[in-house]
Amino acid sequence: MSTSDIASIKTEVAQAISAATGKDELEALRIKYLGRKGLLAEMTQSFATLPAEEKPQFGRAINELKAYLVGLFAEKQKSLESSGKEEKNAFVDIGMPGIAQEIGRMHPLTQVIREICEIFSRLGFLVVEGPEIETEENNFTGLNIPLEHPSRDAFDTFYLKNQKLLLRSHTSPVQIRAMKSRKPPLAIVVPGRVYRPDALDASHSFMFHQIEGFMVDKNIKFSDLKGVLEAFAKSVFGDQIKMRLRPHFFPFTEPSAEVDISCIICKGKGCSVCGRKGWLEVLGSGMIHPNVFKHVGYDPEKYTGFAFGMGVERIAMLKYGINDIRLFYENDLRFLKQF
Amino acid sequence: MKVTYNWLKDFVQIKLAPQALAEKLTMAGLEVVSLEEKDGDWVLEIEITSNRPDWLSVAGIAREVAALTNVKCEIRNTKSETNHKSKIPKTKLEIKIEDKKDCPLYTARVIQNVKVAQSPGWMRKRLELVGIRPVNNIVDITNYVLLETGEPLHAFDLDKLAHQDGFEIAVRRARNGEKIMAIDGKERTLDKDILVIADSFRPVAVAGVIGGKDTEVGPGTKNILLEAAKFSPVLIRRGRQKLGISTESSYRFERDVDMESVNFASLRAGQMIQKEAGGGTVLFLSQSKAVPKCRPKPIKLDVQKVKNVLGVEIPVPKIKNILGHLGLKVKTARGSLEVSVPSFRRDLLRDVDLIEEVCRIHGYGLIPVTTPCITPQVFSNGEFDLNFIIRNILIAEGLNEVITHSLINEDLLERCAIGTKGVFLDNPLSKELEMLRPTLIPSFLNVTAHNLNRKLKPVRIFEIAKRFLSPEKEEYVLTISLCAEASWCGINGKQEEKMSLLHLKGVIENLLERLGVGGCDFSPAAHNAFYANAAFALKIGNSQAGIMGQVRQEILNAFDIKNQALFLAEINLGDLYKVINLNRRFMPLPAYPAVTRDISILVGADIGVQELSDCIEQEGQPFIKEVKVADFYAGEHIPKGSRGLTFSCLYQSAERTLQDDEVNGAHQKILENLKNKFGAKLR
Repeated sequence: MSTSDIASIKTEVAQAISAATGKDELEALRIKYLGRKGLLAEMTQSFATLPAEEKPQFGRAINELKAYLVGLFAEKQKSLESSGKEEKNAFVDIGMPGIAQEIGRMHPLTQVIREICEIFSRLGFLVVEGPEIETEENNFTGLNIPLEHPSRDAFDTFYLKNQKLLLRSHTSPVQIRAMKSRKPPLAIVVPGRVYRPDALDASHSFMFHQIEGFMVDKNIKFSDLKGVLEAFAKSVFGDQIKMRLRPHFFPFTEPSAEVDISCIICKGKGCSVCGRKGWLEVLGSGMIHPNVFKHVGYDPEKYTGFAFGMGVERIAMLKYGINDIRLFYENDLRFLKQF
Repeated sequence: MKVTYNWLKDFVQIKLAPQALAEKLTMAGLEVVSLEEKDGDWVLEIEITSNRPDWLSVAGIAREVAALTNVKCEIRNTKSETNHKSKIPKTKLEIKIEDKKDCPLYTARVIQNVKVAQSPGWMRKRLELVGIRPVNNIVDITNYVLLETGEPLHAFDLDKLAHQDGFEIAVRRARNGEKIMAIDGKERTLDKDILVIADSFRPVAVAGVIGGKDTEVGPGTKNILLEAAKFSPVLIRRGRQKLGISTESSYRFERDVDMESVNFASLRAGQMIQKEAGGGTVLFLSQSKAVPKCRPKPIKLDVQKVKNVLGVEIPVPKIKNILGHLGLKVKTARGSLEVSVPSFRRDLLRDVDLIEEVCRIHGYGLIPVTTPCITPQVFSNGEFDLNFIIRNILIAEGLNEVITHSLINEDLLERCAIGTKGVFLDNPLSKELEMLRPTLIPSFLNVTAHNLNRKLKPVRIFEIAKRFLSPEKEEYVLTISLCAEASWCGINGKQEEKMSLLHLKGVIENLLERLGVGGCDFSPAAHNAFYANAAFALKIGNSQAGIMGQVRQEILNAFDIKNQALFLAEINLGDLYKVINLNRRFMPLPAYPAVTRDISILVGADIGVQELSDCIEQEGQPFIKEVKVADFYAGEHIPKGSRGLTFSCLYQSAERTLQDDEVNGAHQKILENLKNKFGAKLR
């Protein structure tokens, strides 16, 4: 037995393995060469008869051959298995429904609140909440809304029995609370429920949600309000949205502006959603009125600030194309599962 | 407020087409909500904000158009009146104003020998275009002048005013219980909060709101008394709210009328009546006890502040030009402007008001877009963020979030057998919405019923909302309820799982586990809405944080939930927030293998699983690491009053691989104790 014999064995076995077509055939070959009484075992036995000087070289050659053959068998074994000719798997009808744990949804209004608050959080705003039962001072007079004045008509209000307390008609009272308990600089958003005595119909509800935001510091300008609101509108409604500010009146801001975005349905051409105007009113805003600053003890000559407020239902209805506000409070599972 | 294009042209030259004019007005704060071509004219309907009573007139809007289009406009083109007093003998007419605060100015113009007839076609047409029904020439003229000037007028039939020796017009508070038949044909009862115009005997008009039927100008009227006045806005507002009416007059008076337009409007109407109805003014009396002769101080406007507030520099000549066109007088005084405000702009009180005017006419669209220099808020959002963590856990449990109304009917609480605590409204919209709910339970039963009625199952819902226990106490609660069965097609065909109290317990346990809350005790408690043997108090941390239970069937029936069991928990989040711990510490994984042994026993059905597993855990020390209920059975092969239970016990040591005899020893000790303490039999 010499090293050249080993080389020819190598070629012979390689050919036999490659020609094998089944697992059984392969196993027979494995036994023939690598089995306990196989060719390699035989060769190893002959090792003892070799002259001492040949032993090391021959030993190395045998080991090398063995490793080579083991590799070849493993490779062939794998290729025979993966050819799938041998074993059959159970049939799976992939048209059957998938099996999974059902996942619930957050209410669409909560999702919109979260999205909006996250946008403002990225801009550096802090989320603050406040009570739903409020005082006249926080809801009206502190915000420069005299109690007996037509400017209050926009804020019809539920009062509590035998109390001077009321259900907040907007989230703005939290402005008063937050400004009284903190010092500028301030950048705050306030989500929450508000209440107005409006009969329930497709577009009105006696309870709805608002998000209020305000920023107070030295050198806050009307143009900053525009910048922040534009960033907001584009984040919610997309980059192509156009925004415009229109003069308006709110007792707690001066100058005041109503904010329109180009209609997301007709892209500004005019449709039934925007009343053929091409614009959708989405929020009210303005520079915080000096009287509000005076009320909370800030110096209006030193600080300026802006504030804005929006109806969450309105945003959600526009965003999702919902046409009836009552759907939000009916909680039909077929509705909830769409978001 | 409706105006017509041609009517505006009486005062100002307009070169813009109606559409372009409407757009310009909208962008200046006079939102044109509709524009309609009618009878050869265009009608603009404009929404007027409550701070601008001067815009409640054609003249006021014309002034705005002039400012916006940079042209002049002539508002008061009627020649001022020659003094009638000189012509007239001391007539027996006296105006008595009870309180000058209620009525700072009252004028009465007596016009004799009018011919009441239809007013001319052009006037009727204009009135109709803006939505006013023509009546007769006298009434139409008062309405026409009201629309033109913004000053409401009222004409009385002079001969119907009752008097003794000489006419007396009193402006006074009504006496409690006094009545008036108004021109709308309805009798109204008055009280001392309502201001009236009275003759010698009785009220003849609710001041500033509505006239009286008795003294109305009709076809037979010959002589009239024309009223133009200024009343206290708050008083008019209260009065019309009490009477439940709003008129063109009250709408303007409660927004306050321009002191200086009172006389003018009276004169204008007088001249028109003379022309159209042939009458002649014989007397004009103006009674005023509080004409503010001194004008308000000019407002100082620092030009630099305009830039600071708006973020854009507007050249001084432009500022002066804008303010001038709006009817303000501007003087330059050392770096700042001194601006005098006319009587019709009493809404302008301080510099920012002027800055808004400048910006409004300049155009909001020309304000640049800048990013504010912000001081980042590094705090967490606190409870707002925690509520979202809670929501995320619960939706992963398969629950859907609902949002229900905070306002309910007390009757709903009674139906839930819950004693009425809660906060009632003084002015509810309806009985259905009379109070703030002290619990979310009724709302949840309603939502569940709604969905079951539509065959939507299972109903697994939660809400985070306030409950109101008293006016001073509103708190966030988390309410969860499970009802009906979940069914799906599994690997072996149809699978169905009915919701149970243990499903609810599982949700709560998972929630608390994820929130890092040590655990929760469920101890039997009493609650009217729940079955006595299925009501539990939840102790979280050291607080009784909530309740959990199965709602009694008769309550479910009252909410139209039939043949279904409903499980509900309500947790006070204030208590939960205190113990939430979102920090995590890594525990090294066990280095040595664990051994699992099961224990199958038969015990009395009255012995609780908790007691048994507590015993196992105690006796299995120090090697027992976990005890789980692996199975339970009752029925066949099990004696009555007993049940079979299998516990799976996991033994493990942190120091070494446990030997069989160590585990066997511990296991044996457990079995002995279960036998001795609970009479358990090994199966």
